[in-house]
Amino acid sequence: MQGMTNNAYDPIAAWQKMIQDWEGEINAWSGKLTQSEQFSAVLGQATKMIVVAQKTMSEQLEGLLQSLNLPSKTQVEAMTDRLDAIEDSIAQLRIALEKLANEETPSPTKTEPRRTRVPAGKTKTRKA
Amino acid sequence: MNENEDIARRVELEIDRALKRNIKGLDFLIADREPVGTMPKSVIHRDGTAVLYRFEPVLDEIYRVPLVIVSPPSNRGYIFDLAPGQSFVEFMLNHGYDVYNLDWNPPRRDEAELGLCDYVDRFLPDSLAAVADVTGEEDVSLAGYCMGGTLATIHAALHPAPIRNLITLATPVDFNYMTLFQSWADKRYFDVELLVNNLGIIPADVMLGAFDLSRPANRTAGRMTLWNNMWNDDFVKSYRMFDRWAAETLPLPGTYFRELITRLMWDNALVNDTLDIADRHVDLSQITCPILNIVAQHDHIVSHEATRPLMEMTGATDRQEIVSKGGHVSLVAGPAAVRRLWPHIDDWLGVRST
Repeated sequence: MQGMTNNAYDPIAAWQKMIQDWEGEINAWSGKLTQSEQFSAVLGQATKMIVVAQKTMSEQLEGLLQSLNLPSKTQVEAMTDRLDAIEDSIAQLRIALEKLANEETPSPTKTEPRRTRVPAGKTKTRKA
Repeated sequence: MNENEDIARRVELEIDRALKRNIKGLDFLIADREPVGTMPKSVIHRDGTAVLYRFEPVLDEIYRVPLVIVSPPSNRGYIFDLAPGQSFVEFMLNHGYDVYNLDWNPPRRDEAELGLCDYVDRFLPDSLAAVADVTGEEDVSLAGYCMGGTLATIHAALHPAPIRNLITLATPVDFNYMTLFQSWADKRYFDVELLVNNLGIIPADVMLGAFDLSRPANRTAGRMTLWNNMWNDDFVKSYRMFDRWAAETLPLPGTYFRELITRLMWDNALVNDTLDIADRHVDLSQITCPILNIVAQHDHIVSHEATRPLMEMTGATDRQEIVSKGGHVSLVAGPAAVRRLWPHIDDWLGVRST
């Protein structure tokens, strides 16, 4: 009876196997396809077309947004860059201030762990 | 139990799962992003796109030599600290290491000119200097994942002195064996100048497209498997974290991208011994520190062959290689790495970190 139970049709397992097989086949097929020179040629051409189309589109959109008195992608990106730069400066200031404060009055609560650990079963071989 | 009872129980279980799938499926659609990178950390150095984190040590006694993990510039570093129990950082902290991560923010437009030189000759040495400031230790163990490993390797060849150990995880060095990227960026058809000159910063979509090309069925099959396992909270959580990480691929500075394609990919300059950084020759034989090279058996991005020069062209005499089961990401995240791979890394690094 046990043997019968093990051999019973399991639709979930069959479904999982089907997904795995399908994934393997598609990936293998893609692997072969991407190795061909024709594929590289088509991809290279497609990349060029996408870049040119994106550039043309963004230039046109930029003009449209400007005429509608709305912020364009370039302006939003410029603002993001400035915010990132400010965030960067604040982080650098904070690090410098913390370092300075720590040098002047080392925090009594913040203790560094001892750097003397050796692997279990090994003798200590601290570098001279 | 007779066969009828067994079938009845199976049907009951599947109905229960189907109900849970529907309920959890709705939750999945409306849920916020899964939280990642939960180990406490602080920023100890920042320079534009480069951010160096120090993770708070969890033990009172740690190894003398700090461990710095370099993220690939195209991906977020939280993959090393995905979730409690699945975090490389947590594992290493619990085993007594002082862990740092050199991670990358999306580059600003004024950082489009950042090149390989900035990564290996500015961000890396500046970060190691910041680590030395904190620890008072001059030497460091350097680990890198994927292109982070390549940057760490180039840096170690240029500045071998402070590198005590080098751990490379799925690290491409021989780019002739990066077959997917070779066909994607075929020299005869791929106009890298057009891309860089028009875009400045290379959008993440470009890189994501290349990854998807290598495994076009993965996304759909992943969704189908997710649906199948929607009743399983752990699976769903894990899926969402990996999905978030994959979707958050970072854009790249144009100059770095150009050098990656022309110098590393087309010229295979590391293996052909023709790479110069700021007028200094990058000679792999200058790397004499112990090397642990870790590759994934089923890595469709970085093949075993692509990492071979680390074992054959470096000047180290203490070199070890681990071929781990699984794919590209399985080396740095996932339950299998916790059980199988990371204990080996600890064994290897512990004795070399005193």
